[in-house]
Amino acid sequence: MSESKEQISRRDFFKGAAMGVMGGGLLTMGLYSYSPWRTSHFPEKSRKMADIGACKSIKVTNISETSWFSNADLMGDIKGAGGLLVNQYSYNWPPFGDGTGLGKGSYEKGIAKIKHLLPQDLDEAWAIAEKLAVHPENAGGFACLIELEETNGKPHKYLLDSGWSYKWTDECFRREGIDQMLVNREIEALFISHEHFDHFWGLPVTLKYDPTITIYIPEGFYPEGLQYLKDVGHKGKVVTVKPGLNPVVPGFASFVFAIPIICRVYGEQSLYFNVKDKGLVSVTGCCHQSIIQFAETAYQEIKYENDQLYGIYGGLHISPFEDWDPKYDDLVISLGKYGFQKIGCNHCTGILCAKKFIEMGYPVVRGTARHRSKDSAYLGNGDQIGFGIEV
Amino acid sequence: MDVSRVNYLEARRLEKRWPGPIPALVSLVLTLAVFYVTWWIFQDPRGWMRMYTPYVGYMYTRWWLIMLIWMVYLFDFWPFKRSWLMRAHPLLKGAILSAISVGILYVLIKGFFEGLLGNFGLAYFNPHQLTKLPGVTEFFAIEYAALACLMFAAIASWLSPAWVVACEEVPWQGMTQPGKGISILVMTFFLSTVIFFMTMHSHMGILYYPWQYFTSIAPPYWEKFADTVSGNFHVSWIMCCTVTVWIVETIWERFPFTLIKTSWLRRLVAFFGIIAIALALHFFLYFAQELTWGEAIRGTRRDAAPDWRWLHVGEMAVFFLVPALFITFYCGNWPKKYSLPVNVLVRTLVTLVAAVLLYLFYYATSHTFLGTQKGFSHPQQFPMIPTIWLINIWLVHHWFMDNWPAWKMVPKTAEEIAADHTAAVEQVRQVRWNPALGLGLGAGALCGLAFYFISLNLLPWFYRSITVIK
Repeated sequence: MSESKEQISRRDFFKGAAMGVMGGGLLTMGLYSYSPWRTSHFPEKSRKMADIGACKSIKVTNISETSWFSNADLMGDIKGAGGLLVNQYSYNWPPFGDGTGLGKGSYEKGIAKIKHLLPQDLDEAWAIAEKLAVHPENAGGFACLIELEETNGKPHKYLLDSGWSYKWTDECFRREGIDQMLVNREIEALFISHEHFDHFWGLPVTLKYDPTITIYIPEGFYPEGLQYLKDVGHKGKVVTVKPGLNPVVPGFASFVFAIPIICRVYGEQSLYFNVKDKGLVSVTGCCHQSIIQFAETAYQEIKYENDQLYGIYGGLHISPFEDWDPKYDDLVISLGKYGFQKIGCNHCTGILCAKKFIEMGYPVVRGTARHRSKDSAYLGNGDQIGFGIEV
Repeated sequence: MDVSRVNYLEARRLEKRWPGPIPALVSLVLTLAVFYVTWWIFQDPRGWMRMYTPYVGYMYTRWWLIMLIWMVYLFDFWPFKRSWLMRAHPLLKGAILSAISVGILYVLIKGFFEGLLGNFGLAYFNPHQLTKLPGVTEFFAIEYAALACLMFAAIASWLSPAWVVACEEVPWQGMTQPGKGISILVMTFFLSTVIFFMTMHSHMGILYYPWQYFTSIAPPYWEKFADTVSGNFHVSWIMCCTVTVWIVETIWERFPFTLIKTSWLRRLVAFFGIIAIALALHFFLYFAQELTWGEAIRGTRRDAAPDWRWLHVGEMAVFFLVPALFITFYCGNWPKKYSLPVNVLVRTLVTLVAAVLLYLFYYATSHTFLGTQKGFSHPQQFPMIPTIWLINIWLVHHWFMDNWPAWKMVPKTAEEIAADHTAAVEQVRQVRWNPALGLGLGAGALCGLAFYFISLNLLPWFYRSITVIK
């Protein structure tokens, strides 16, 4: 009898214990997890304060911010090919057109049509692409020239990205005199921000004028992109930059973010410049990691003048297709507290977003809306911006 | 007992055709094969129809789940006769019932949401209306409309089963079909509409430029608390509600709410208890991300953004649902040999471990197998689509096809049904208050508390120790 009682008692204890474990666990989860006490579990933030030096000034020339000319055509193609996750090399966009139609292409079939013409005979290569590709007239591209002056007066020139359309990019290069700078070997390196068509596929245009230029790419390129680097006739050094900080010259470092991006791309490289007496300037291709993340990373990683986030140039990837989402408002609302003093945004920032920045009273540098840039709300093609130097 | 008065799922007995775990393994292989083939046909960005845009595929996946719930839980297979359900070959039943569910789904999306609501009420349900906005491309018009539909679906997929599981179909439990189904459908649809307006409408309102201050509350009331203006904050807890409803219904066998003898109190506590459990999960899974990835930073994109973190809470929660349903559908709700609370605890722990493993496996491999993008926080990375797609296939297999071919459906006799009821009542009756249970409850609560705090300390270490995505 007593043994049976003991058994029942033990069984009841376990029943209660099982209920208690779940109840106690759930109750604590509910009461503690979003309470102010939870912050005690977060590690202390210590800034690394990496010293990248300082430069006297930088000047950025917008070679082209117009990556495509019609949002409707671009998004129509993306929709038709199956959405934002489809591999960009399969869209059958130029220069990798093979005549099989939207969403049926591949890098191998596309490059086979033009490889023998790269990088010298770009007019003919593009003419072939125009016949075989989907919407070749819609291709533009992103590229900018960065002119840095060291504190001792030594100048440096770099390219960030190389556009998309061979035709358009070449036209823009010639308009801004980039062709001659490349021929004269004045430009020290080409930094590719990421593997997207509008930043990377126009690579042969740079190589046409300087096939030996050093190219920095972020880690994460897919096999097609790596093969393209070989197929375009590049004879210089390719540096694959690992995620994290990569100092280049005093006052200049690139930073690679290991992030997934639409159209099956991975990894983005953005540029930091520490301008003497001013502060930190961020120059970005698309900034898929977000400008806030870029600013926060700078705060955590780098020592910069006056502890001031000073300026921005480039695409901020907020509403590239003039689409919107409430999370973009989170960015618009939050950007103000970072205290940027000069915002030269364009490209995938979106006109709508630039207008929201202006409405918030942010110091947006307006453009001239020339050379097919659509709106003066942001810096357009051919416009320049200086940090530590007036332009 | 009148067999026709109990629902079809309760009136059938599924008998294994082979011993041991073979039926479960066969079913797993079979359903995964169907999953992969159908994924390739309908969803995969490399496949045929490429509906994973992502919102279009997500919307259809989510609403299909609700169609299945409506047909089985609300309408108990009406208008199909019980005799046909008992006699027809599972393949035939699966084909016919699935086709009907897809048909209703199509009518609902195209007819009700796009056609009726989108043309005569709220423009954002209709892509064509959205393209009239300056600058909006067709692609994003379709995506926005699909987003609105699926936000509605998130609410409906919680409330539809909740009215059956928690509220026990009250006050229509005594009605026959289709009256009962229609009544619950109207009720839950009405509640879904009210909650949609209170949780999601502001999200849609600030998609427009300028913000639609005069028709939706903007900025929304949750902004300060959730650190975002995005409706993902609500998607998160509502998704947790959906997961909790099904966990309560399957591996918890409606425990602990069945302990409450008074019907109205039990229903009330069950309905709000599910919400309370979901909120606990909602806050914990957000905290878990803070512990592994660091504090959220408003305005960032990807894995540091509060809006994405809230969405990811819902995504993480779905990973719990997959093993929970597998345990119930294919493992006979193993284990059953202990007392009800211990059985429930063991199943929950197994589900927890399996969910973590599935989560890691998904992010390590999905970009290879499913054509999704590599990484945790890509804006087009929606693990809810493949997981719910798999769940839908399991629901079709378990509900419509009686787990064929590894199981055989045998109609229960009235005596068997009565015996099941008695056993269920007895199982609950054995959990009654006594000092030993009270002692266990106290000790268990302390263990639960300790388990929680130990987990908090282990999580960052665990995340640092593994490489999920190479």
